[in-house]
Amino acid sequence: MISTEQLYQTLQKRFGFSHFRAGQLEALTALTAGQNTLAVLPTGAGKTLIYELYGAATQQLVLIVSPLISLMQDQVTTLNVKGEKRAAALTSLMTYPEKNWVLQHLTAYRFLFVSPEMLSQDAVLSALQNVSLGLLVVDEAHCISTWGPDFRPEYLLLGQIRHQLNDPLTLMTTATATQHVKTDIKQKLQLPDATEVVLPIDRQNIFLDVAQFETQTDKDDRLIELVTTLKKPGVVYFSSKKKANETAELLALKTHCRVAAYHAGLDPETRFKVQQQFMQDQLDVICATSAFGMGIDKNNVRFVIHYHVPSDLEAYWQEIGRAGRDGKQSIAILLYQPGDEQIAQFLSDATVPQENEIHYYFQQMAPQIAGDEKANLIWFYKQHHYQERQVQELFERRREQRMVAFRKMMGYLRTPTCKRQYVQHYFDQVSQPDELPADCCSSDQPDIDLTALGLISTNDSVTVSQNEGPASWQAILTQLFNADGKTDAV
Amino acid sequence: MDTAQLITFLSPTAPRRLRVIENILVGKRTVSTLYWGMRYHQLSWLGYEKRLTRNVMDQTALELKNKGLVTVEETNAQLTELGAIEQQRLLNKHYQPKYLNLRLIVDVEALWQRLLLATQVVSEQAYQNKHYYPLQVSWQVKQFVKRWFHQFYSDDLRKAFQDFWQTFLSQLPNDQALLMSRLLVGHQRPGETLVQVAHDFELTESEVRVMITDLICQLAKVIAHTETASLRSLLAGLSRSLISTSAQQTLNSFMAGKSLEVISHQRQLKLSTVREHLLEAAIMLPPEQFDFQRILPAQLVTQMLARLAKTPLDQWQFTQVADLSVEFWQFRLLEILRSKQTDDKY
Ligand SMILES: [Zn+2]
Repeated sequence: MISTEQLYQTLQKRFGFSHFRAGQLEALTALTAGQNTLAVLPTGAGKTLIYELYGAATQQLVLIVSPLISLMQDQVTTLNVKGEKRAAALTSLMTYPEKNWVLQHLTAYRFLFVSPEMLSQDAVLSALQNVSLGLLVVDEAHCISTWGPDFRPEYLLLGQIRHQLNDPLTLMTTATATQHVKTDIKQKLQLPDATEVVLPIDRQNIFLDVAQFETQTDKDDRLIELVTTLKKPGVVYFSSKKKANETAELLALKTHCRVAAYHAGLDPETRFKVQQQFMQDQLDVICATSAFGMGIDKNNVRFVIHYHVPSDLEAYWQEIGRAGRDGKQSIAILLYQPGDEQIAQFLSDATVPQENEIHYYFQQMAPQIAGDEKANLIWFYKQHHYQERQVQELFERRREQRMVAFRKMMGYLRTPTCKRQYVQHYFDQVSQPDELPADCCSSDQPDIDLTALGLISTNDSVTVSQNEGPASWQAILTQLFNADGKTDAV
Repeated sequence: MDTAQLITFLSPTAPRRLRVIENILVGKRTVSTLYWGMRYHQLSWLGYEKRLTRNVMDQTALELKNKGLVTVEETNAQLTELGAIEQQRLLNKHYQPKYLNLRLIVDVEALWQRLLLATQVVSEQAYQNKHYYPLQVSWQVKQFVKRWFHQFYSDDLRKAFQDFWQTFLSQLPNDQALLMSRLLVGHQRPGETLVQVAHDFELTESEVRVMITDLICQLAKVIAHTETASLRSLLAGLSRSLISTSAQQTLNSFMAGKSLEVISHQRQLKLSTVREHLLEAAIMLPPEQFDFQRILPAQLVTQMLARLAKTPLDQWQFTQVADLSVEFWQFRLLEILRSKQTDDKY
């Protein structure tokens, strides 16, 4: 067994840190004692370090199940950047020979990322059965819960797959989970006795603000004002790509800030550029959809504004969690206009197939159009021998759950009492009133002075730096290829 | 797709089929699409905008119609007098691509991804930095560039790339050179997005997209002729065939003298498919690479032309010759031949 001292040594040697962040050591201690572990750590708390360090300390293969290809690729890149080259993602974007190559060289890898669908393929499963697996990580484990917002039916296969992999030591990670969801995760993975490591989800340095508007013009004006005056960088979230694009243009026009849109509709080159500009402080504001944020580790984000109401508190909490990772005062502002709930309701409804759609797809063979999510979803159930009636009931329940989750979200913005306590209550993590931060929320302090919070931008450094940078292509080439012969201090 | 772009695909003298324009942009290789794409001089745009939707296409046409720039009948659009003036204005004002034909024989999108990533890798190498976020590209491109770098990293890549870009950019007008250079990614340079450069150069997004695509085509041309191995190898495996693999096989058999029936039997294809393959080849390839005479005997051509000579090509009707012993696909082939011989624009 690995001692605590060895864990610290690896932390120092591999990661250059002398201290663990909250929750990391507890999870690692449980794992090295052979206990399956459910770690509920907020975004940015460093949950990836847990399995990275475990893999480094035990020198064994770590298999990470992850729901999104883009997320997997990001994680592999991040590991590569840190100097770990033995990482790969097995995805549906690879050709058959490419996949095969990875599978035949499994021992060459320390970290392997897969989607649950990929993992359930015979070839993949049998290749993994033949290697010694140090740790199975179920990332975003809440996806297994039909109670959660991001339910993915493929995750239901994982309990069985885990047995087929000879019940390896398992780490389940998630950023936000209610008590209900936690129990559900453990039950569905058939690990009822797993050790729980749960950190408070509260982020005391984020002031929680909700502002209501009569018209969209008022809302836009306030957004422009906020973006102009608030300390940057910041993120504004939208529920539609179109609105994100339009507002990015509007803000660029009205605020002198460097603004860009970010959503899943952009090509990878543009996504990379926007992300990197933001990371390198060359952008002040990102107008984003929920596609933005995964894999973004920027600690000086000062504000997160929501232009639309998110579909549930889990999503909201995850998104505002991107503010203030450096611990400094930050703010989350939800801009609400009566009627917005209909947009959210519509979008939420749109993700769950309706009765007639389920019936329709049940009559069909395999999905005709790649990327038809609903068709794929129902195809999944059909392939796994569900009856139409069962699927109808399942989605009926799911629609009700989404409705309840959305009502709770609306409750957050409507509650006249403390919003922080409302969230804590939702996540079953109630704290005492004296544990609340002095500057807490707009229910307690409706007329909060943003200047007093230190959130008002004090200089125009942003606008000054706007046009810096090489003005000629010759200068750009000089910089790109280091024609001045500088060496870099990294 | 925007109105300015659609206008350049239309004509004031004859209606054009919106569905053909759309199918060309989306990249559908049916004989009818390719034939009319050739007639519209639009083939170099084949597959230029794969994600174009019917909805966007129709909205754009409607917008032009509402401005009085086109008339639309069913799904055929023709420029009005006002539209023709606007088209002329746009042709003078907007960047006009010259090298898009290269798209048909080189996978320029993949080349750009490779070149962009390779440039980043070389830039970081020039600063001796190993810890950076590489551009997100497809797995294939990433693996390719990894192998490429492994092969060439000990060459003086920094000098090779600097010289290459220096030479390439200096032969461009200054604004195009600046625009292109601002897209590049490297050490502490995340590169600018298309939207950002469009904004700064006061151009529309679709204008910049055309310009960049055309510049990438020029890059492909230059790289194909460069002496520098590290750069030239970036093109490896990216050549495209003008026609589909299956059509190429059919063509090879045909040019080897086999009859259509034999080809149909040997390749287990319907006779109609064999004919479509040959029509595709006749449209896409230079005329000397296709044996028109074998399908269109001189006497038949003379007979048909006697009926058709007074009708402009795009108004030819099969009914004009239907009573001769001729099949529709032979008629279509004559249209193709005629188009290639005269290349009469509208
Ligand atoms: Zn409060």
